[in-house]
Parts: sequence; C-alpha cells; structure tokens
Amino acid sequence: MRRRAGESFLIGAAIEIEVLEVCGTRVKLGIVAPDSVLIQRKETQITRDENITAARSVRQQNISLLLNKVAFRPVDTPVKNLTDATILTTKCT
Amino acid sequence: MPVMPRIQTKCFGDVEYSPDAIFEFPNGMPGFETEHDFLFLERPAAHPLMFMQSLSSPEVCFILLPVLAADPKYKLRLAEEDLAALRLPAGRQPRIGKDVLCAALVCAGGEERPDPTANLLAPILINLKRQIGIQAIQTQSEYSYRHPLISRGRQEELVAC
Repeated sequence: MRRRAGESFLIGAAIEIEVLEVCGTRVKLGIVAPDSVLIQRKETQITRDENITAARSVRQQNISLLLNKVAFRPVDTPVKNLTDATILTTKCT
Repeated sequence: MPVMPRIQTKCFGDVEYSPDAIFEFPNGMPGFETEHDFLFLERPAAHPLMFMQSLSSPEVCFILLPVLAADPKYKLRLAEEDLAALRLPAGRQPRIGKDVLCAALVCAGGEERPDPTANLLAPILINLKRQIGIQAIQTQSEYSYRHPLISRGRQEELVAC
C-alpha cells in the first residue's frame, strides 16, 4: 500500500490511520480508534517489558552473582560527583 | 539533628533518607507509570552499580549502571521532547556526568534472563540541577536494549572490564 499526505487507510471497521504530513524521513500520522485500543510506540512496549524484567531481577542473589561475574569498569568523575554530593544520594551502609 | 524520614527498601531494609535526595519522574517509566519519586542508593561493595528505589512502593527497585561504565564512548541522542522533559536547553546534547546522570537499567540475571544485560537504548537520565528524571527511549540510536554485560560463550572475558 502506498499513501500520500492527506490519504488514509482502515484497519477493520473502527480504526483509521491518516498520513497527515511527510517531512523528509519522518511521517506524521493521525489515528482514530476506539478508547479500548491502546496506541503506543513499539519501543515503548519493548521498554515496558524490559523494565518489568529488570525490576523482577532485583534480588539479593542475582545482585551478588552480577557483582561476582562482571568486573565493572570503574567510573571516575561522573558517578563520583553524584555520589559525593550527599544531597543527591543516600548512602546505605 | 532533625529526624529523617525512613523507607522500607527492596534490598537494604529500612533506610533513612533526606527529602532533598528525592528525584522526581513526572511521567514515571513505561510499566511503572504511577511511580514518580525515587531515591538513588549506593553501597561501596556494589560500586559502580546504583539502586533506584521507589519511594511509594518498597518492592519497586531498579539496578542502574552508569552508561560510561558499560561503554566509555557512549553517546547520547536525545529527542527534543526528552530535553524539554528534563528542562534542558534545546538543540544540544547534555554532557554525561556534568549536566545529566545517564545510567542503564540492568537486568541482573535470574530465571527469566540468566545472562545479565543493560538497557543502553533507553537509559535513565537525571537533570542533576533540577533533580528531574526520565527514561529516554532513543529512537535514533544504535544501542541495544539488551546489551550483554558478559560476552556470550567466553565467560572469562568480561565485556564491561
């Protein structure tokens, strides 16, 4: 299917997608859909799944394994500046 | 000394914190849209990892790795709307460590994903002056959202080292 700006197409009976504007490599779309249809960028969905997996992985045994398995590159100034400022972080001992 | 408030954390039990140390995420994060306030915790033994603990939900905590620890040449490609959300000037990328803290969410392993990974595509960004944070999903970037922290098949050779 090829569409120009101002043209639209339908997905089923209730969802309409219109090409509003084409500018270089970017396309602006207008979407008409029922409230029950979630519209989101695909990368937002991927990020959500990744975030949930990351949050679930935060367990003491995983953290210990992570620290044992990976020799992290020490970071000098950026992190230190942040953590040295007591206002910015709470040290846990 | 004023009495400091305390919160229950996921990893470190009951922790005292300063209200000045709260970072605001006005939009939350994908999957965690209702979490708006976080504390950044660190432990010397876990350096350079940091822990991003939700103030309102003890069970919500993320492990963060500064992106420069994963990739010393890491380059930001923030969209204009991300700069605006961080209340940073338009038209130029912020300097990591000077204008912003930039850290990747780490998946620490476990059953779901045995090999630890870091999300370099959608890092956490903090405006250090304003204490505002976002998760920036970089669409114009080549980084992986599952950057391996251990190279596959050669476990003894460590990627992040």
